[in-house]
Amino acid sequence: MVKLNDISIRNKLILMQVFTSVIVFGIVFGVFIITDVNSYKQRKVDSMISLAKVLGTNSISSIQFQDPEAARVMLEELRTVSPEIVHAEITNKEGQVFASYSKPGTNTFAIPAVLHGKHYAFTDQQLFVSNPIVSNKEVIGTVYLEVQLTELQQIIQYKYELAFILLLVALVFSFLIAVLVQGYLSTRLLKLVNAVIKIRKTGEITKAVEDKGRDEIATLIQAFNKMMEEIEESQKKKDEFIGIASHELKTPLTSIKGYVEMLDMMEQEQPKKQFVQKTLGNINKLERLVKDLLDVSKIQSGQLQLEMKEFDMDELLNETMNASQMVSETHKIIRKGALLNEMVYGDRQRIEQVLLNLLSNAIKYSPGENTVIVETEKTEKELIIKIRDYGIGVAPEEQTNIFERFYRSNTVAVHISGFGLGLYICRDIINRHYGRIWVESNGKGSVFNFSLPLKHSPSIQQT
Amino acid sequence: MNLLFKRFLLVVLAGSFTGNISAQNAQQEANLKAAFIYNFTKYIDWGPYDRDSIFVIGVVGDSPIIESLNAIAASSRINNKRIITKSISNPSEISNCDIVFISKKCRMPLNYILSKTRPGELTISEQPGFAEAGTAFNFVVVNNRLKFEANLKAISSAGLKAGSQLLKLAIIVDKY
Repeated sequence: MVKLNDISIRNKLILMQVFTSVIVFGIVFGVFIITDVNSYKQRKVDSMISLAKVLGTNSISSIQFQDPEAARVMLEELRTVSPEIVHAEITNKEGQVFASYSKPGTNTFAIPAVLHGKHYAFTDQQLFVSNPIVSNKEVIGTVYLEVQLTELQQIIQYKYELAFILLLVALVFSFLIAVLVQGYLSTRLLKLVNAVIKIRKTGEITKAVEDKGRDEIATLIQAFNKMMEEIEESQKKKDEFIGIASHELKTPLTSIKGYVEMLDMMEQEQPKKQFVQKTLGNINKLERLVKDLLDVSKIQSGQLQLEMKEFDMDELLNETMNASQMVSETHKIIRKGALLNEMVYGDRQRIEQVLLNLLSNAIKYSPGENTVIVETEKTEKELIIKIRDYGIGVAPEEQTNIFERFYRSNTVAVHISGFGLGLYICRDIINRHYGRIWVESNGKGSVFNFSLPLKHSPSIQQT
Repeated sequence: MNLLFKRFLLVVLAGSFTGNISAQNAQQEANLKAAFIYNFTKYIDWGPYDRDSIFVIGVVGDSPIIESLNAIAASSRINNKRIITKSISNPSEISNCDIVFISKKCRMPLNYILSKTRPGELTISEQPGFAEAGTAFNFVVVNNRLKFEANLKAISSAGLKAGSQLLKLAIIVDKY
């Protein structure tokens, strides 16, 4: 069973109109046929009762003078006058048959039970009529008629056929009209729906949905366009703010860092030395956050430039693993898999940034564990680097979202600080290298993968 | 309508359906003829000769029909008038009737009786050839059924009119 809500608006409109017109026409034709048939029946009853009255009046003297032959001759006239009458019978006041007539080729007549006490009665095929013969206010007999209703059957059949054909024609026309008219409503709605879907998918607010109407749909589209404009404007302002803020924060931060590093070198006295080093550690954290913001801002404004050159991947891996190992007191970072022995064409510093980010995430999101494994794979076309941890993992519904800007996991119970920008920047960097980045997680830990095309790949050569 | 007349009509109708008149006794035949005479009056227009207060039926000659007519007279009226029957032995009484029934046993010559009638008198007889001889209606038996002849000239010369519903059942004779 198809739910009405699942049918598209376009089809719903068509269905509604066709359904309505079928019901309306059905009722109209039904009433039309019923009244027509009833009025035909009433006319038939009236004319047959009149005929019975005439026959009765004309047979009064025949009954009075005991001359059934004369009555029979009169009834015989019915054969030419009214061929639809199959049987006619005149009875005397005792109910005995006085004279009767049967159309040639028909059975004998018996007064039907349905007629008892009535002036007329219908069966499927016949009409029965009875009328008393009255002379000087005294009933001296009764006339009975049986009328074959073949004409009525034909009329009913004809009307049904006609109604059926008209209904079909109406159905076709209402369908055509519905198909034509629904466009005015559904096309515009669909345009809006498609725009929404596109924005939802790509996140890009391109241009306003065009519409020339003045109805509610037009209002909806205008409101939607206005809303999109505002969103675009606020997004732009936010990006601008992030850009300016990160830039403005970075300058004094660099200067602070410089002085604190100098202080660190100069100061040997405890606990002053310890305080300086704590300060330096936090300055480094702050610097990373500001750099992330700056990177995002560059990505947004398209100012992120890659410095492409050849470098040795094994060497880079060693460097970054060592650097991460130095800052981690809890985890051991282990390399698995054969050496790659492969030169990669790319921005060494940016790839390093990706690796550092993934490694620090792996450590951050596996509290209480003690290993992070770096695996490497080489195929004909690309290198694949896998960073495996045994931590809390990533829920399936979040696996695509975690690469979005400012995305913070809702399901993670542990509090982990950060802007939620790292993976977004990683994805952008890897995408710019024509690689792929993705996560695999089955509940116990997660594996962050990224691939880099080998330098002989045609896509890289083009750049 | 009293019980007697109902019984009488029943007998008449039942008798008629058994068909054979010759097999019936004289009284039954008389009853049937009396009923016919009574029914004739419904189709005859007496016109200006429609006298008020009573309707007189005279029977010439001895006949059981007088009893049958008496039975009808006791229960019914003709044109809303009381029915008087009388047996006529004196020719002068003929002109006092509305209907004159000439029975089989009448010994007076027909021409004599007819000459005594006045306009407005309906003559009914029951012997073969009497209609041709000048009576308005004459009972005959055809195929064992009681039928009647009608002499249109006799009816019109008596100043009367007979209804078509009556005449369509009659055997029409044209001689005088």
